[in-house]
Amino acid sequence: MSPLRLLNRVGVYGFLGAMVFLSVFPFLWMVVGMTNTTGDIILGHLSLGHAFLDNTAKFFVQANAPLIFWNSAKISLFGTALTLIVSSFAGYGFEIFRSPTRDSLYAGLLFTIMIPFAVLMIPLFMIMGKLGLINTHIAIILPTVASGFVIFYFRQATKAFPSELRDAARVDGLKEWQIFLYIYIPTMRSTYAAAFIIVFMATWNNYLWPLVVLQTNEMKTITLVISSLASAYYPDYGVVMVGALLATLPTLVVFFTMQRQFVQGMLGSIK
Amino acid sequence: MSDLKLVDVSKSFGAVEILKKVNLDVKAREFIVFVGPSGCGKSTLLRLIAGLEEITSGELIIGGERMNDVDPSHRGLAMVFQSYALYPHMTVEENMGFALKFAGMPKAEIRERVLAAARILNLEPLLARKPKALSGGQRQRVAIGRAIVRQPKVFLFDEPLSNLDAELRVHMRIEIAKLHRRLRVTTIYVTHDQVEAMTLADRIVVLRAGVVEQVGSPLDLYDDPANLFVAGFIGSPKMNLLPAVAVITAAGRTALRLPDLGDTLVVLPDGTPRLDEGRAVTVGIRPEQFSANGSAAFDLTIDIVEHLGGTTFLYARKDAGTAIVVEMKEGRTHKPGDAITVRFDPAALYLFDADGSRIRAGV
Ligand SMILES: Nc1ncnc2c1ncn2[C@@H]1O[C@H](COP(=O)(O)OP(=O)(O)OP(=O)(O)O)[C@@H](O)[C@H]1O
Ligand SMILES: [Mg+2]
Repeated sequence: MSPLRLLNRVGVYGFLGAMVFLSVFPFLWMVVGMTNTTGDIILGHLSLGHAFLDNTAKFFVQANAPLIFWNSAKISLFGTALTLIVSSFAGYGFEIFRSPTRDSLYAGLLFTIMIPFAVLMIPLFMIMGKLGLINTHIAIILPTVASGFVIFYFRQATKAFPSELRDAARVDGLKEWQIFLYIYIPTMRSTYAAAFIIVFMATWNNYLWPLVVLQTNEMKTITLVISSLASAYYPDYGVVMVGALLATLPTLVVFFTMQRQFVQGMLGSIK
Repeated sequence: MSDLKLVDVSKSFGAVEILKKVNLDVKAREFIVFVGPSGCGKSTLLRLIAGLEEITSGELIIGGERMNDVDPSHRGLAMVFQSYALYPHMTVEENMGFALKFAGMPKAEIRERVLAAARILNLEPLLARKPKALSGGQRQRVAIGRAIVRQPKVFLFDEPLSNLDAELRVHMRIEIAKLHRRLRVTTIYVTHDQVEAMTLADRIVVLRAGVVEQVGSPLDLYDDPANLFVAGFIGSPKMNLLPAVAVITAAGRTALRLPDLGDTLVVLPDGTPRLDEGRAVTVGIRPEQFSANGSAAFDLTIDIVEHLGGTTFLYARKDAGTAIVVEMKEGRTHKPGDAITVRFDPAALYLFDADGSRIRAGV
């Protein structure tokens, strides 16, 4: 290898190494941090400490962890399931059925993706107030169910769904909704897996809207609780790190168990 | 096993009329093949029959019943698609039994029927597999099996073999012929492939731009095409079609002047209709109709030689004229650039009018 190419290699690997470090370091610090006391963390201790059990116990006392966890899980699972059903149905419909207004309707839908949430937040809050849904979990689930992005994603994926499969199903006696249920959903499994990961992570990590809508402690989600622990007058960083780890685990589990389907789904599910 | 009738069937997509007043009478147990150039409406016609598209006007009658508004699954037909259209998440057995299960048939009976069909098609070892784990030919057999299981009154095939390689295509073609002989179910089959059409069909329907050009047995269409289009479409290599001008000879007989063959005159035999002097017609002659003892003879130069072993096709021309395909049984010594004399019998010529319609002898 010529010296120039060697230098090039070193540069490339150096750069990649730095990037890896940047993305992995917060996780490392989280793990290290939850075993240390706040004092050690502030001093910049980068080795494992002995305060893990202590921190964990404190977290469970301060945060009512099981309830908070259950709230987050309930919202994320129900929300994701509903979003996938409703939005995939819509995306499928947009792709399969022709109508004179289809394209303008769809353009309008795509436009909604571009509106920042901050713009919607106040009107949405007023709507939820009118519906009497403030401080309920339904208020968090409802606005995401018909998601412009997920509809778009499913419409794109549906382009790869062979029309002859629909024809075969119709000859076999299936009605449109049965085709969707018995043929489309099982065929597009990896598309659903990919969408599940994306939507689940987004709902699990959702912060701003729950912060606005959820008002009592027993309704709150884990992201809200961690943030309130971290912004206390004397934040106990070791405890925050325990919370952060618990908040990260479900998304990690979801991602690693569905990783293969995720990649397939992003590539297109039918080969 | 039903007869099937199309009466003035038309189909439009928006303002575009794709099929124009198609009439067809399919007899029970008959094997009908639709052929025609790409985009002529073969698939659309098949989909109208299947109920996958709505008929714009006209009537579809299956087994004496008007079927225009009947749901596809209640028309008593089964369809085999070009892409096989097997449900990817189901095993072969589930694929084949799906329609029956959906119709509420008892499990034991479904299994019996699936096994019977699997036996016919040699699918027994594959029943537990998913379509992904099958070869193209196997998938095609499963698709056919799925159709058989339903015991339909009419089979519909839309280019079922076009995704297979040449060898498998021949094999499956023979399988389908055997199957039809065994089950005797009325069949409508769409294809691009001349050989499939000629070998499978009881009758061929030639479509062009949504219009039925001719219906007839394969050899009828070959020997006696109704018009220029059918003459050019049926047969491979194609019939040679040459422009010609009618001339009346001094003896008062009709002759043709063929510019592509060096303006030689070909005197037509008795019984051919008299053509007015100067009338422009098209002359057709099949590659195998050139023979050693015809009365008309031309000197041509060979352009290209295709040796197929048993036969040889020569592509020859006179000066800058159109290339003429000549089939030779004994042509192995010919080389490009050679001069050759071809002969044919003027009585064997096909004559077509300027509008493409056939000018028949004795009319
Ligand atoms: N859903 C549709 N909407 C509009 N036009 C259509 C539709 N389906 C088919 N067509 C048009 O109808 C015409 C006939 O199509 P069809 O698929 O029947 O042709 P085909 O004879 O089967 O051709 P090929 O041999 O290529 O399969 C084509 O011009 C096609 O563009
Ligand atoms: Mg077609």
